[in-house]
Amino acid sequence: MEDVFNYAPAIALFPLVAFVVALTFGKYMPKKGALAGIIATGGSLALSVLMLVAVASGEVYHETLYQWAIGDAASEIGADGIEFTFGILIDPLAALMLVIVSLIAFLVHIFSLGYMNAEGETGLPRYYASLGLFTFSMLAFVYADNLLMAFMFFELVGLCSYLLIGFWFRTRSAPSAAKKAFLVTRFGDYFFLLGVVAIAATFGTVAFAGDNSFVAAAESAIDNGDTLFGFGAETWVTITALLVLGGVIGKSAQFPLHTWLPDAMEGPTTVSALIHAATMVAAGVYLVARMFGYYALSPTALAIIAFVGGFTALFAATMGVVKDDIKQVLAYSTISQYGYMMLGLGVGGYVAGVFHLMNHAFFKALLFLGAGAVIVLMHHEQDMWKMGGLKDKAPITYYTFLAGALALAGIIPFSGFWSKDEILYDALIVGLEEPVILAAYAMALVAVFFTGFYTFRMVFLTFHGEPRSEAAEDPHDIGWSIKAPLVVLGVLALVAGIANLAPVAKLAHIDITFLEHWLDGEYGAVEGLTYSAYGELLAFETAYIGGEQLTVLIAAGVSLLLAFSGAGLAWKLYSVPEPVAHKERLGGARQTLESNYYQDEYQVWLAEGFTQPLARAADRFDQTVIDGVVNSVSTASLFSSSRLKRIQTGLVTNYAALLVAGFIGLLLVLGYVGGWFL
Amino acid sequence: MTVGVEHYVLLSMALFAIGLFGILTRRNALMFLMSVELMLNAANINLIAFAFYHGNLSGQVFALFTMALAAAEVAVGLGIILLLYRNFRDVDVTVPTTMRW
Repeated sequence: MEDVFNYAPAIALFPLVAFVVALTFGKYMPKKGALAGIIATGGSLALSVLMLVAVASGEVYHETLYQWAIGDAASEIGADGIEFTFGILIDPLAALMLVIVSLIAFLVHIFSLGYMNAEGETGLPRYYASLGLFTFSMLAFVYADNLLMAFMFFELVGLCSYLLIGFWFRTRSAPSAAKKAFLVTRFGDYFFLLGVVAIAATFGTVAFAGDNSFVAAAESAIDNGDTLFGFGAETWVTITALLVLGGVIGKSAQFPLHTWLPDAMEGPTTVSALIHAATMVAAGVYLVARMFGYYALSPTALAIIAFVGGFTALFAATMGVVKDDIKQVLAYSTISQYGYMMLGLGVGGYVAGVFHLMNHAFFKALLFLGAGAVIVLMHHEQDMWKMGGLKDKAPITYYTFLAGALALAGIIPFSGFWSKDEILYDALIVGLEEPVILAAYAMALVAVFFTGFYTFRMVFLTFHGEPRSEAAEDPHDIGWSIKAPLVVLGVLALVAGIANLAPVAKLAHIDITFLEHWLDGEYGAVEGLTYSAYGELLAFETAYIGGEQLTVLIAAGVSLLLAFSGAGLAWKLYSVPEPVAHKERLGGARQTLESNYYQDEYQVWLAEGFTQPLARAADRFDQTVIDGVVNSVSTASLFSSSRLKRIQTGLVTNYAALLVAGFIGLLLVLGYVGGWFL
Repeated sequence: MTVGVEHYVLLSMALFAIGLFGILTRRNALMFLMSVELMLNAANINLIAFAFYHGNLSGQVFALFTMALAAAEVAVGLGIILLLYRNFRDVDVTVPTTMRW
């Protein structure tokens, strides 16, 4: 199995080739470049599965492929030389994520045949080329073996999402949404860049794994009680970890940089599925998981991650409740679900966070592709109030969508329940000792209720009741290329929870937590990148309410109860033949929720009321002071030369006289200095 | 009585002063040329006098160079004067003042 890793670079390179092919020859190809993308992502998927099998048989891969700069490191501690390299790190986490990303990308490509090709879109070569580049960047990001390489592909992912969100660039809203996504995530990435520089400057290395990784260097710095840049080692680790977290918050759409994500719905629905399930948004959380050892060194950074995650989970869920557009509901659910993952990672639940990342990838891709199918059915209508009654007309879409919805709402036994419950359980046991985490847990718990409510509000409005428009009465046909990915993902949304049935394992004392063993390196792992290695670094205390089993039951019971009550409320309000809006009952809160808590407004105000005047003042300083100095120097010389040039009369006699006078003057001066006249 | 080097220097100074006076006061370009010639020759006298005084030949060699230079200068100068006359119908140096800024 050793040789199989030699093909690892091809996983990312296949989609890159597809990008080039689709861009150059897409116009002449039968499906406008779709086939290139499908073959490439299919190849990536096959190779990724091979990697997974290889890792399962106990192998790991950590290899530097290309070194593009070596320099003297001005590092505080650690190595004298710093190397910037491209390398590949395939450990259990990366192998798992590779499979997820390539699977979702593969299914999205197939779905695009039905969603884009069959609908007669123009610009398809551009679309498939962007998808290829997107998949390439994400796959390369996933198995990057150092922080700088990760940063580069992180940026490339952002660029690709810009291209794809703005795919319909002739509309007014899409380019603006694309710009917003790019700028907002870029704002976060700015901090990430600072973090990369800070880490490189501190430890002289940016490697994720191995003996000279920055994680190991940071750990020994804390043990030795070093002082880094005038801070204690732990404080400095916290600062750099939080800087990197800036990029995570931007990409994973956490509060307060979540505002780009709902607008990103302007892109094609297939792109939304890819962005939300496997690539762009997942990149942020994956980065935290990738360098979890570093975060584990800093309880403060972890607590901030957990709190931001818990808050975002609730915050986004409440906004999802009042949205009328099916894609908008899903957008807010994505923000909310990534909040859960952040909470899970923040409380040290590495396995729980990764587990939810995996399950979410399946069910959110399913829901978005389901929404795409609904949009095709509805002749491109996205308003849920114009849908209804699709249940009988499109049973495959309905049942797969329902599977995704049940997983999203966290209803037992669908996959979402198992991972969300594990996150909440981990948060609860830490929260019993740490009040901040308890607050985050409480917010995430309330969010479960809202999740159940908005999910089933969406399901009931879309599929149940009587058709509320002509399009809903006579839906458009959908082909196999739409149905097949839905079925695959529907099955995964149902069964993916088997990977880690932690509550069952704890209650029945049977060993079925496969994902935990997987991430703990029981098959193959890079040293230091395992769950138990992270566990040793964590400083969190845990406590139980009357024993472990009772705590498990309480955590699962409360979250299930809330999920059911949310779903039940949605059922009561909207599962009627002629549902009506109930927003009036929200009173004053309605306007706030529909305006998304005025987040856009305050950010626009911040840009227009603060940044712009500041930029204007800087511009004025530049125009007046800096330019003024430069201009006055040139004005002075221009003026003096315009006066001085008058001695050039054009009369050769004058010149000769000047020469002689000058010579005599020089003679006199030299004579005076030389002392002739004394 | 031997002729001391100071006599040569006085002669060369007088010649140079005459040439300089010509340049500063005359307006005719031909007179300019002659005055320049006088100044060059004043320099030549100086060179030869000091060569004789120091007893080596470099000054004399330089004087030969200067003569060649003077010949070339006259050729160029006459050419310029010819052009001046063609353009301005005059050889007065105060007329062509347009070639300044």
